[in-house]
Amino acid sequence: MATLSLRPCGDFRTSYRADTKIFDTPTSRWAMVGFLCALYGLVILPQAFPPLASLPVLRLFADGYALSLGIQVCYYAIAALGLNILVGFTGQISLGHAAFFGVGAFSSAWLNTRVGLPVLVCIPLAGLMSAAAGLLFGAPAARIKGLYLAIATLAAQFIIEDLFVRMDWFTGGSSGAMADTPMLGSFAFDNDARYFLLSLSFTIVLFVMAANLMRSRDGRAFVALRDHYLSAEVMGIALTRYRVMSFGIAAFYAGIGGALYGHYLMFVSAEAFTILLSIQFLGMIIIGGLGSVMGAMLGTIFMVALPEVMGAVIAALQTTQWGNRPAVINGLPFFREMAIGAAIILFLIFEPDGLAHRWRLIKTYWKLYPFSH
Amino acid sequence: MKTVLSATLAGALLAMLSPFGGAQADDSVFVGHLKDVTGATGFVGKLYGEGVNDALVWINAHGGIDGTRLDFESVDYAYEVPRAIALYKKWTSQNKMVALQGWGTGDTEALISFVAKDKIPVLSGSYSGHLTDPTGKNPKTQKPAPYNFFYGPSYSDACRALVQWAEGDWKAKGKEGKPKFIHAGDNHPYPNAPKEACADFATELGFEVLPPVVVSLKPGDFKAQCLTIKQSGANYVYVANLGPSVVSLVKSCKTVGTDAQYMANIWGGDSETQKTLGADGDGYVFVAANAFWGDDAPGLALVREIAGSETPRTHHYIRGVCSTFYMKEAMEWAKAHGGLTGESIRNAMYARKDWVPKGLEGVCIPSTWTPEDHRGMTKVFIYQMQNGSEIHKIAETDLPRRDDWLGY
Repeated sequence: MATLSLRPCGDFRTSYRADTKIFDTPTSRWAMVGFLCALYGLVILPQAFPPLASLPVLRLFADGYALSLGIQVCYYAIAALGLNILVGFTGQISLGHAAFFGVGAFSSAWLNTRVGLPVLVCIPLAGLMSAAAGLLFGAPAARIKGLYLAIATLAAQFIIEDLFVRMDWFTGGSSGAMADTPMLGSFAFDNDARYFLLSLSFTIVLFVMAANLMRSRDGRAFVALRDHYLSAEVMGIALTRYRVMSFGIAAFYAGIGGALYGHYLMFVSAEAFTILLSIQFLGMIIIGGLGSVMGAMLGTIFMVALPEVMGAVIAALQTTQWGNRPAVINGLPFFREMAIGAAIILFLIFEPDGLAHRWRLIKTYWKLYPFSH
Repeated sequence: MKTVLSATLAGALLAMLSPFGGAQADDSVFVGHLKDVTGATGFVGKLYGEGVNDALVWINAHGGIDGTRLDFESVDYAYEVPRAIALYKKWTSQNKMVALQGWGTGDTEALISFVAKDKIPVLSGSYSGHLTDPTGKNPKTQKPAPYNFFYGPSYSDACRALVQWAEGDWKAKGKEGKPKFIHAGDNHPYPNAPKEACADFATELGFEVLPPVVVSLKPGDFKAQCLTIKQSGANYVYVANLGPSVVSLVKSCKTVGTDAQYMANIWGGDSETQKTLGADGDGYVFVAANAFWGDDAPGLALVREIAGSETPRTHHYIRGVCSTFYMKEAMEWAKAHGGLTGESIRNAMYARKDWVPKGLEGVCIPSTWTPEDHRGMTKVFIYQMQNGSEIHKIAETDLPRRDDWLGY
């Protein structure tokens, strides 16, 4: 992957091609392919043969709730990856990512129910519509950066959020919009297992695209821009073009994620795309690792799993005598929210490079064991 | 080292798998409970939710549904529609839910198609008129809602009753000309629910209906909105929000010097709001649909038992109890006639007429649901805040069941 990784001594790379491989070794590539095939297989098996659904491991892959968490990971990871391209790779900042996620969700619902296009066509189109909105609201990025850009994107968040409630013809106003289930011919992705496979496919394609983007000329321009914009400009990189383009790409990813979200819930409501979600996206990439494609995925898994783990802890607390007091019970709903904030702070202090960095350390440890030097 | 780590990993994997094996015991059914504690409507959502929760606990402690325990989960969804839908999907797929105690208008309306498809009856805390047409008979109905119920008059009917009361009030005060009516509420499904239906009826009664004013559900400084109300010369302001927002609005308008009569829906008036409003709330009118804690009703003994203390609770709490007990009795009937499935519980809601759950006589108002009409009641009680600390019933209206009002 086009990021810094720890390599053992003597591992030389003699060509650019070798240096920018997505996977360092053929083993890691085949391990990933094997993992994804196994994931597909494990979800398909209980669907094809229902009696298998009660077997110990397969039970997890047949469980609607576990799958719904998987689907959440997929659509959030796609959007988080978009934000990571913008923040982690290009060094821009956005506090309005949730708004573009919402634009994607509403666009897809609108294209589907009002224009009458099939859902699978609507999803990429929604990405493009979202990208158009991203380019528009990313325009200030051509001129401003840092805190000023953060505030400009914050404004985008509020403007778009307000438009969601007012643009009745497009979003259904305060009542929200309905969205259909995706269909492929007569095959409907109408249960959690099928929808998981669909969103997983989108996720794989978009992650491979992002990894490839980072190996391309444009991707390197993004990184150059992040590392030192003045040097990048001296080298002939068109700052404005790449800054705005990065916004467009980030919004495209957010749009696809949003569209998948809308068609999964089959209902899109304006209140889902608040500043809180934007901050959660930032949390995902900070926890996962800024400037890492895999980090976006790891951070999303962490953020989706965190409320579930907290929920289990709260449920366990409520069964104890100490946790069953009214004062504690009233405070418990806030624990989940606080846990997210605490996780971000702790990661910033103790693991600023995120989970992706930790994963690389684990891999290196494994590879070099028992000689760590 | 590798062995230790592998063993830890395997252990972690096993631990991950274990929560997903929870099978339902044969003698229990699952009921979902959505409540809002931390969200925009948490002020009343918390109280109503406690009523539902305490009633469910009481039912389980007293033999459940003729021996069947109610396995329930009360979750604070913070008034966010997507969270409610995600929870609904979890409960249907993982817990085999048979009935749902819902809450907000946004989520209940969003779930209409899901619950109809999955055949899960919902008793919501939303009284949106859009939920009252099970067949889609009225052309104005947006979506037929065959599995939606609520205990109380619909928001539209409550607002109509207020308008009717306002007409009488206008005449009683001997005023001339057309009274002016204005809707003040957030741009949210809940405040919006009765907006058009009520404006139609107000026009029908000869009111001049002014353009609505948007007032946030979250409390704030509403002097700008009050100035608009003042300048428009509105005589009757329908307050579509609740508690904290109402207090901010009434106080801001008092500062600005607005001379209008405030009339609130069923969530917009209660003892808690009155405490905060104090003398500023004098004259404030609101709708209710059940007994108050201090009333003289035989069923209140049971409510006190459910609450487990003598500390007065608001009438929202009591309404939560009513809603749960209607579900309880429907489930009992369903168990005796075809089993505890969503469909049979829905059918059980039609089994009786002018019906009050046993033990809650005088607390819940007799209600009737039919396969063609989900307006449980059309009776509306109107209360007024007086002398800073008193709440008095000032009117009682029984609206006609007009076909063109169904689902609207």
